[in-house]
Amino acid sequence: MQIKTALRNVFRNRRRTLFSLTVIVVGFAVLASVLGFIEEALRSTQVSLASESGAVQVAAEGLFENTTDGFEYLIDPVRLDRVLSEVSALPGVVGVSWQLNFAGLVGDESGSTLIIGRGVVPCSDVQDYECIVTIGDPLGESSDRQVVLGRALARKLNVGPGDRINIATGTVSGNFNAATVDVIGEVTYAFEELEGQLGLFPISFVQRLLKTDGVERILIGLEDLGEAAAFAAALQARLTDADIPLVTRTWEELNPSYESISSFYGAFSGLAMIGVAILVFFSVLEVLTISFLERSREVGTLRAFGTPRGRVFRSFLLEAGFLGLIGAVAGALISVALILLFNGIGFTWTPPGAAIPQAIRLGLSTEVVLMPVLTVLLSTLLSALFPSWRNARIEIVDALRSV
Amino acid sequence: MSHESQFCHERGLPFLEAQSLTKTYRVGGSTVHALRDVDFTAAQGDFVVINGPSGSGKTTFLNLISAIDRPTEGDVLIEGASTAALSERQLAQLRKDKIGLIFQTFNLIPVLTAAENAEYPLLLQKLSRAERSDRVQSILAEVGLEDLARRRPNELSGGQRQRIAIARALITQPKLVLADEPTANLDSETGAQVMALMRTLNEEHCVVFIVVTHDPAVAGYARRRIRIHDGHLMEGGTDDLVDSAPKSPS
Repeated sequence: MQIKTALRNVFRNRRRTLFSLTVIVVGFAVLASVLGFIEEALRSTQVSLASESGAVQVAAEGLFENTTDGFEYLIDPVRLDRVLSEVSALPGVVGVSWQLNFAGLVGDESGSTLIIGRGVVPCSDVQDYECIVTIGDPLGESSDRQVVLGRALARKLNVGPGDRINIATGTVSGNFNAATVDVIGEVTYAFEELEGQLGLFPISFVQRLLKTDGVERILIGLEDLGEAAAFAAALQARLTDADIPLVTRTWEELNPSYESISSFYGAFSGLAMIGVAILVFFSVLEVLTISFLERSREVGTLRAFGTPRGRVFRSFLLEAGFLGLIGAVAGALISVALILLFNGIGFTWTPPGAAIPQAIRLGLSTEVVLMPVLTVLLSTLLSALFPSWRNARIEIVDALRSV
Repeated sequence: MSHESQFCHERGLPFLEAQSLTKTYRVGGSTVHALRDVDFTAAQGDFVVINGPSGSGKTTFLNLISAIDRPTEGDVLIEGASTAALSERQLAQLRKDKIGLIFQTFNLIPVLTAAENAEYPLLLQKLSRAERSDRVQSILAEVGLEDLARRRPNELSGGQRQRIAIARALITQPKLVLADEPTANLDSETGAQVMALMRTLNEEHCVVFIVVTHDPAVAGYARRRIRIHDGHLMEGGTDDLVDSAPKSPS
């Protein structure tokens, strides 16, 4: 009967209950939206970062640690094939690509500037962002003496698709080399500094420019980014067994900025949870305090019949628990509906450090629903603690006297 | 209701004793004496009506003998056992097992039905659902409200509510029932019906009834009448002081 009584008491004053439930539902919806946004932002940031770096990379340790001299980190074709063989033996791979990067000068008769040249396998499964150009065309499989410039670099050079520019850099043997390439497109990057120096070239062209048949790093795309660490460890073991002196790095290790992005969002979601918890706590506290005090005479009656204080305390807490639970269920249903509606509309944004504009979606995982459930339940129960305790402690005679 | 006997074998045996009960309150800077050195005894089967004007100490006396309040001085003995040293929990246990209470404003729980209100004290006694149900049906029949079992208090008349309150007070088969102004919120006809019911239950179940009231009409139902005035009890219900007269300092 305690449960039945508690449930009936929840709906005893419908207007007051409606207010409490509204606060809980609004708090729930706000928190679920914030958590959903953060979850989706982190997920799209991960995807974006991994689309540039690959989920896992393989290269000489000296390259990752920046401790090599010259081009001794290069992976020759024989070793590349051996690594690809090892990679193909592992599950979950969606694609493999490789890069050869260089620093050089770019310009024409009117002047020159620094370029970070990235030799890539055009439109690979791992780095499909290269195919998204804002102006012109992406690199194709048959591309050779062509470049897609960072948009800011193109502005700096005052060139665009159809123009020709000169590239100059040092070869692996230390000599000077130069070539003329056609600008076929422009690509936008979130980091303007990088956009102002970046040039994407077919890797075969960069190999000729640097006079090498080697590659700098191997990029591996995975079906599940969450498996990157396990995959990297498994691949590392195979490389070691095969006596291949290369190491693996996950996308997270390659993008240390992700940790700070993740921490920022973590702190933001923590603040949102605290904010909603405080909102629910004080709103429900006020309502419950009034509601419980109005029932002092009932408490006196129950206590006069021999009801222990503990049972009175538990009954009020149970009532608050039901209020929180009903609010949480209503909040979950409404929030899920709102999130689905929002996702159905479809907006886009470019996350920090990302090249590809992402759809603004709100995540809808178990955590997005469960965390607000716990937050509103806990705040409601906490807000009920003091009024419940005070009502349970009230002297019977005083309670019976109250109107 | 499954009371053991329709006949009160133990009538006349002392059940409740109040010894030198004094209750004072601090109001502002002064001390108010609500009860002064009161002695009182109630025996099995008694139907005592305590009469007195507002502020005379009726409710204070009832609170003390029902163990919901503690005296400033003195003691209340129930079946010969002192209650002075009992803990909160023990007092609650005592009330649960031996005392039934009826209030002026009925004090029914609004969210519970008539049957659930009557059943409530049994929940504290951890009886089985079947036994609780039997007892509820029996007591509601006894107070004549078996057809209204599913109604909420706000769907009942004042007299019906008080009958439910009586059912609630009696359902645990207590040996003592204390009623505080049970007819105050009822019209005279309904009040008379309620009092007649209480008197019948007193006779059938050998339960001690102590009723405090300022309604002179209630006194007619009493086996014993006591008048309370300025914190003193006077046997007889008139102005003659008997066993609770103030004791002169010696």
